[in-house]
Amino acid sequence: MRIQKKGGSPVWASITLPLVGLIIAIAFGLPSTAEAAPAFSPTLSNDECLACHGEPGMSVMLESEEILFLTIDAGKFANSVHNLEEIGCVDCHTDITEFPHPERTDHSLREISLDFYTSCKECHQEEYDKTLDSMHERALAGGDTNAAICTDCHNPHTQARMTHPLTGEVLLLEKVKIPATCARCHNTIFETYKDSVHGENLTENYNQDVPSCIDCHGVHNIGDPTTTEFRVDSPALCASCHTDSDIMEKYDISTDVLESYVADFHGTTVTLFEQRYPEQDTNKPVCFDCHGIHDIKSPDDPEHGIALKENLLITCQRCHPEADVSFPDSWMSHYIPDAEHYPAVYYIDLFYKYLIPIVLGGMLVFVISDMVRRMINKKKGASH
Amino acid sequence: MNKTSNTFPRFELARRIEHLLMLLSFSALGITGIPQKFPGSQISVVIVNMLGGIENLRNIHHIAATVMMFGTLYHLLVMGYKIYVERRSMSMLPSFKDARDAWEALIYNFGFSKIRPQMGRYTFEEKVEYWAFVWGTVLMGLTGFMMWNPISTSNILPGEFIPAAKAAHGAEAILAVLAIIIWHMYGVHLRSFNKSMWTGKLTEEEMLHEHPLELADIKAGLVNQPIDPDLFRKRKRAYYPVAGVLAILMLAGVYGFVAVEETALKTIPMQPERLVSAYDPQTPTPMPTFAPTATPASVDAADLTWNSFVGPLFEQKCLMCHGALGGLSLATFEDAMAGGQSGVIILPGDGANSFLIEVQAPGGHLGQLSADELDLVQQWIDAGAPE
Repeated sequence: MRIQKKGGSPVWASITLPLVGLIIAIAFGLPSTAEAAPAFSPTLSNDECLACHGEPGMSVMLESEEILFLTIDAGKFANSVHNLEEIGCVDCHTDITEFPHPERTDHSLREISLDFYTSCKECHQEEYDKTLDSMHERALAGGDTNAAICTDCHNPHTQARMTHPLTGEVLLLEKVKIPATCARCHNTIFETYKDSVHGENLTENYNQDVPSCIDCHGVHNIGDPTTTEFRVDSPALCASCHTDSDIMEKYDISTDVLESYVADFHGTTVTLFEQRYPEQDTNKPVCFDCHGIHDIKSPDDPEHGIALKENLLITCQRCHPEADVSFPDSWMSHYIPDAEHYPAVYYIDLFYKYLIPIVLGGMLVFVISDMVRRMINKKKGASH
Repeated sequence: MNKTSNTFPRFELARRIEHLLMLLSFSALGITGIPQKFPGSQISVVIVNMLGGIENLRNIHHIAATVMMFGTLYHLLVMGYKIYVERRSMSMLPSFKDARDAWEALIYNFGFSKIRPQMGRYTFEEKVEYWAFVWGTVLMGLTGFMMWNPISTSNILPGEFIPAAKAAHGAEAILAVLAIIIWHMYGVHLRSFNKSMWTGKLTEEEMLHEHPLELADIKAGLVNQPIDPDLFRKRKRAYYPVAGVLAILMLAGVYGFVAVEETALKTIPMQPERLVSAYDPQTPTPMPTFAPTATPASVDAADLTWNSFVGPLFEQKCLMCHGALGGLSLATFEDAMAGGQSGVIILPGDGANSFLIEVQAPGGHLGQLSADELDLVQQWIDAGAPE
């Protein structure tokens, strides 16, 4: 229903109506995916559409000799978030107002999708705007019609609710489907990912603690992961989970990984490099150069783990081709040195921890006492 | 205070240049060291940006270190000359008297003694600083080598020595910088501004304050006694070749230090992922297919009527759209014969020109009839479309 703008609309309405909306928004903590309920006045009910489109076997051959299936699986649609939110067919299919339907001029399935997908923004403006900054949108703008659009990832007729209505968090049942969704276009990467420590745990064990694709790449505004910016920002990205003791405790994984990385030569350089040249490539390694990208294994993996010296050496040699067997020990494997791990470093730190204050303290005793003595002497007018 | 014009030489020009080189290289090393020791701090960001990035900063650090190495080598050669050829007394060597001087200075400062200890050419304060600098330079040189050349180092020593060297290098740097700020700044600039490293001279009054024993020696004529010219020449002849060989060896050492290894590739190794084409689709998921609806059991051509064949066929294939909805109903014989929005669709006796056949014949209609079915429908129309 639309609010009619009238000549003498009362002042209270102009104040209270937005206020009421705000209160409702706060009270329900509307997540980002929430639709602003559109003021649709459907001319056709879903039942009317499904009377035909619910029947099996409806299809039409397009000019491209592809078959466009016109049957909607009524059962799946019934459980879709759109149906649950009472979004009508014609809210998206706005060109359908009557029967027979107007003729479409699309030649191929892809053309139809490309013609249609912008209608998503009627409700999902925020998500749509984000996609405008995405790698996919750039590819599309560059003429690559294979680039993913809304409907490639979200089938509007079957898409179940993805996020918790109050917290906005991705629901586990949907999270586990994400890799397979991306796999439709990025299959080799998916094949690699699903054997990784993260992928295996998500796709096979339904473990919510591990990242799906979107946890690292973002969603909707998926950026180019081959940029320097992504590269130098990646340690912070990995650290967002790997310094979270609530998650890491469960798997007995150290949360010192970022600190120990930044304290080392590689991490120091990357941290500082980023400050000056956020847009230039650095050859200093970030997390994924040693641990892998989609093929990340547990360091303790009996076959591929880099806790194994020979595996670590191979990793080092990718950038340090001359490196020999004892070279990997120059990297402290994310340990904070103690008497057990890297004792030489630990004892040197300990030595200086006492030496520095002792030496400087001794110097200060001389300096301050000399200063005071001179002031006293001066006051007394005593010449030296 | 009466100004005395009497001055005493303290540092010859070469010493002062040496000091300047050390001052510059030490400061450069300290400033460029801060971001490498404290990468997360704001001051590091300022320094890195000022010096044009971390790679530049590291180059400056390395150049300054090389300058300091050259300075150290030069210092060693000059010391050799002074000690062997000129037979100067090794006045910089620490002695028991220095410990006593330090103790007495402290006692005096605290007011337990009325007399400040009298010192010679180098006071205990100066010796502390000199030897601390020597110790620091050696340690920073060794640990710096390990970090500059980690692969060569780990070929000889355990790999752990490299992070250990880094720990020592950083901690020693903090000690050195703070010691300079506390000890040197106070002793040479704050207490009284000692300009002898720039002018080369001290006034008699300054000498009396700082180096009374040396002043006494000078006045007694004990300092810089002339050397026998023959002996002097002989020693020089012996020293120069040795110094030359040493100089070459040490220069080679510095060259090795700087250039012995290419630690890492300058390029970024290609990640295998980057070689994967971004668009790498799965074998297209098979679209849902529906079993074709069976053609009603073939009928006797003589018995082609609406009720026997056409009606049931339309019910199965067309009523989905052409039933209650839309502009044409094929639900009943009457409806079908009446036609729809586009007019009459069945011309009894003229199948070929009936709109129904015209629409269906090219194919592609949503509810497309098979060729056999269409043929039978046409025969039915040709036969007058009996009910």
